[in-house]
Amino acid sequence: MTAEPDATVESSDGAPLGVSAPPPRSLARAFLPIAVTGALLALVPLWLGDSRLMMGLAVDALVFGAYAVAFNVIFGSTNQLFLCVGALAGVGGYTAAILSEEAGLPMAPGLVAATALATAVGGLLSWVAVRRSLGVIFTGIVTLAFSLAFANLVLGQRELTGGETGLVVAAGEGTFLQERVAAYYLFLGMLVGFLVVFRALERSHVGWAFRALRDNELAAELTGVDVARYRVYAGLTGSAMLGITGAVFTYSDGFISPSTFEFGHVDVRVLVMLAFGGLGTLLGPVLGTVVFAVVDELLVEAGQLRTVLYGLLIIGLFLGFKRGAVPAVADFLRVLVRQARSSAGGRRVRAALARRRPDHPNEEG
Amino acid sequence: MLEASGLEAGYLGENVVEGVDLRVAAGEAVAVIGSNGAGKTTLFRAICGMLAVSAGRVRFDGRDITGRPTHRVARAGLAYVPAERHLFPGMSVRENLLLGAYPGRPDPSAFELVFDLFPRLKERPRQAAGSLSGGEQQMLAVGRALMSRPRLLMLDEPTTGLAPKLARSAYQALQALKETGVTLLVAEQQVPLALSLADRGYVLENGRVRLEGASEDLERNPEVRRAYLGVA
Amino acid sequence: MRAVVLDGIVLGLQFGLLGVGMTLVYGLGGVLNLAYGQAAVLAALVVALSLAAGVPALVAAGAGLLVAAAGGVVLDRTLMQPVYRQRGEHRVLLGLLLTLGVAFVIDGLLTWRYPSGALRLEVGGEAVPILGVRMRVGSLWASGISLAVGAALALFFRRTTLGRATRSVIQDEVGARLVGINPAAVRTLIFALSGALAGLVAETRSMTSPVSVTAGFDFTILALIVAVVGGLGSVAGAFLAGVLLGIVSTVSAFYIGQYVTTIVLLAAAALTIVARPRGLLGR
Repeated sequence: MTAEPDATVESSDGAPLGVSAPPPRSLARAFLPIAVTGALLALVPLWLGDSRLMMGLAVDALVFGAYAVAFNVIFGSTNQLFLCVGALAGVGGYTAAILSEEAGLPMAPGLVAATALATAVGGLLSWVAVRRSLGVIFTGIVTLAFSLAFANLVLGQRELTGGETGLVVAAGEGTFLQERVAAYYLFLGMLVGFLVVFRALERSHVGWAFRALRDNELAAELTGVDVARYRVYAGLTGSAMLGITGAVFTYSDGFISPSTFEFGHVDVRVLVMLAFGGLGTLLGPVLGTVVFAVVDELLVEAGQLRTVLYGLLIIGLFLGFKRGAVPAVADFLRVLVRQARSSAGGRRVRAALARRRPDHPNEEG
Repeated sequence: MLEASGLEAGYLGENVVEGVDLRVAAGEAVAVIGSNGAGKTTLFRAICGMLAVSAGRVRFDGRDITGRPTHRVARAGLAYVPAERHLFPGMSVRENLLLGAYPGRPDPSAFELVFDLFPRLKERPRQAAGSLSGGEQQMLAVGRALMSRPRLLMLDEPTTGLAPKLARSAYQALQALKETGVTLLVAEQQVPLALSLADRGYVLENGRVRLEGASEDLERNPEVRRAYLGVA
Repeated sequence: MRAVVLDGIVLGLQFGLLGVGMTLVYGLGGVLNLAYGQAAVLAALVVALSLAAGVPALVAAGAGLLVAAAGGVVLDRTLMQPVYRQRGEHRVLLGLLLTLGVAFVIDGLLTWRYPSGALRLEVGGEAVPILGVRMRVGSLWASGISLAVGAALALFFRRTTLGRATRSVIQDEVGARLVGINPAAVRTLIFALSGALAGLVAETRSMTSPVSVTAGFDFTILALIVAVVGGLGSVAGAFLAGVLLGIVSTVSAFYIGQYVTTIVLLAAAALTIVARPRGLLGR
C-alpha cells in the first residue's frame, strides 16, 4: 500500500462515504426541529437554574453542542477530518484572553479578533488540505499535529498564556456573561444560531454542492462543482463557529487553561457525541451532547475509568454504526414502518439490511 | 482436471456470469473467447476465489475448490495470471520469481524452465519489476506463476498492451509451455491467436457459454468467423 | 555539540524502531494503529512488575515483549477483522477510530490501576568515552540493541522467504494472494512484531530515562511522526527518519527547549504530508 489510500475508492457495500438525504423543502419543516429544540432547552433553567453546578454543566453541554455542529459543518458536510476542534476553539479562547488581559482590549473587539484568527487558521488548514489534495487521513494527521502543536505552544509560552496553570480572564466580570442563567441563554442562542446556519447552508446551493462532493468527488468536479472552494467555505464557517464559541466561553468562564481545549478533552468527546447522535445530521449534536452531559455527570466518580468507558463507547459506536447510532436506529424504524405498510416490504427490509453490512470477504478490488 | 458446473458470479448482487459449465482436461489447452464485457474475467476470478460464487461448483483434480480463498487455490496447484498482472513493483525480477514458489524455495528446474521460455528475464534479474516494459512484465508475470510448477495455468488476456509481434511471441512461449505438459486455460480477445494454441474453446457471450468445441470447428463456425474473425 | 548529536543518534535509533512498528502495520493492513504506544507502556509495566517480583532481568524483558506482541495479535484477530473488511478510506478511518478507542481503554485501565507505574532499568557501569564524549552505559546498550534489532529486521526482510512475503503484501496484496501468500496470516505476524518492537523501544528507553504508564500517547504520536516523515509503509524510511528526527530532537531540546522541540517534530510530520507526502523513502 502506498502512502495514502485512494480517495475515490468506494466502500465495499457500494455506498459512498457520506451521502445523506437532502433537507426538507418547506421552510417550516426545515426549521421547526430547531425551534422545538430551542424551546425545550430554554426550559432547562426553570428546572436547574438554582444550582450553580448544574447550570455550569448545562452551559458546558451547550458549548459542546456548538462544537459538534461546527464539526458537522466541516467533516459531516465535506469529509475534512479536522482533529483540531478543541485547538481552533482554543485559538479563539486564548486570543480573546490574551488580548483582554495583556493588551487591555475590551470584549467586543477581542471577540472579533479571536473569531477572525480562528477562522483564518481553520481556513488555512482547509486551503492547504485542498491545494495538496490531502485525503481524509492525511488531513486528520495534519490537523492532529496542529492540535498538539497548539497545546505545546500554549504550554511553552508561559509568560503570555499562563502555561499549565492557566489565566484568569477578568474582562467578563460583572457582565451578564458570568451570570448563570443569562450565560445559559446566550449559549443556547449561539447553538440555535449555529443550527440555523447549518440548516440554511444545507438548503442553499452550497449545501447542494456539499452533497455532490460527498457523494462522488470526481463526478462533482466534472460537473463544475469547485470542490476546493466549497471545502474551504466549510472550513471557514466551522472554524468561525469554533472560534467565537471558544472566545465567548472564555469570557463567560473567567478562566482559561490548556486542558479546556485539549484534544483528549474536546475532540474525543465531540467524536463520541456524534457517533451516537449522528454525523452530519441536524440534531445529532444536540442529542449527543444531552446524552453525554448526563453520562459524563454520572461517571464523575469513576475518574480514570471514565476514559475506559469513552474508549469502549468509541469502539462500540463506530463498529456498530456507520454514521451514528441514532440515525441507524431511525433508519431501521423507518424501514420497519414501510414493511408494515406493504407486502413487498419483507424483500426491502432484507435488502436494506444487506446494504448495511459489507460481507464479501472474498471480493477484491 | 478443472471442472466448473453451473457457475454463477457477479458484483453487488448482480450476476455477470450465469450457468457456465467448463471443463479442462490434463495436458489440454483451452481458450475462453469473447468480446469485452462478455464475462471472461469474472469467470476466471470466480474460479480462483477472487470473487464470491453465487451458484455452482468448481472442482480441481476432483477436489471442490468453490469459494476457496485465492491463496489456497494457488497452493493447490492452480496458478492464475490476471490481466493486471499484479507484480511486486518495488521488488526485483529475481525476488518476484522467488516468491512465485511460495511457501517453499523454488527448485532450480523452475528457474531453468522460466529462463528457457523467457531469456530476457535472465538478463536482468535485479531490475525492479515496476521499471520493466509491458512485454517484460507480462513475461515476468507468467514466469512467476510457473515457479510453483503449477498443474494448471490460467491466463487472462495475456496479450493486453502488447504489440502484435510481442503477442505472437507470447503465444509461441505458451505453445512451448504446453509441450512441457502444463495444462492451460486462456481467456483471450485475440481469437486467432487463442485458437491457434488451444485444443478446445468456449465462446462466452453476455456471461453465458454460447458455443463450445474443438478449435478447428470454432474457427470454421460462421458465427465465430463473423463476430470475432472479421470475416463477412 | 558532539555529545548532543551522539545522544541524538542514540535516541534516533530508538525512534527508528518505534516508527518501523507503526509503518509496518500501516503498510500491510492500511491501519493507523493509535493504540501502538499502549503496547510499549504495557511491556514496560510488565517488566517493572516482574522485576519487583524478583524475576531475573532478561526473563522480565522477554515477558514484556511477549505481552506486547500478544496484545498485537489479539487486536489483529478481533477488532481489526471488521476493519479489514472495509476498503480504502473507510478502512483507515475505521481502523484509526477503533484503535483510538482501544488506546483509551488501555490507557484508562493502566493509569487507574497503576497510577504511578513506571519502568527504569538500571544498567550499571562507568561511562564509556566514545568519540571523545562520555556515554552512559545505558545509552550504549540501548543503541547496541537498537542497531542489532535493526540489522536483524533488514536481514529478515531482504533475505528470508517470510520477510519477502511480507514486503510483497505491502506492495501488492492481490499479487501476494496469487502466489499463495495469506495476507491475513502475514498481518497477524506483523502486528505481533510491531507490538514487540514497541515494547523493545520502551525497554531500551527505560535504560536512560523512566518510562511511565501515562506515556502511551506520547509513544504513539512519536511513532506516527517518524512513520510519516519516513514514508508510510517504508521500513528503511522509518529508520532513517527516526535517526534524523532523534538528532533534531536533542539539538532542539538542548538549544531551545522541550515544548518547541515537540512542535518542531509535529511540524516535520505536517510539512512532510504537505510538501512531500511519500516521505523520505516511500513510494
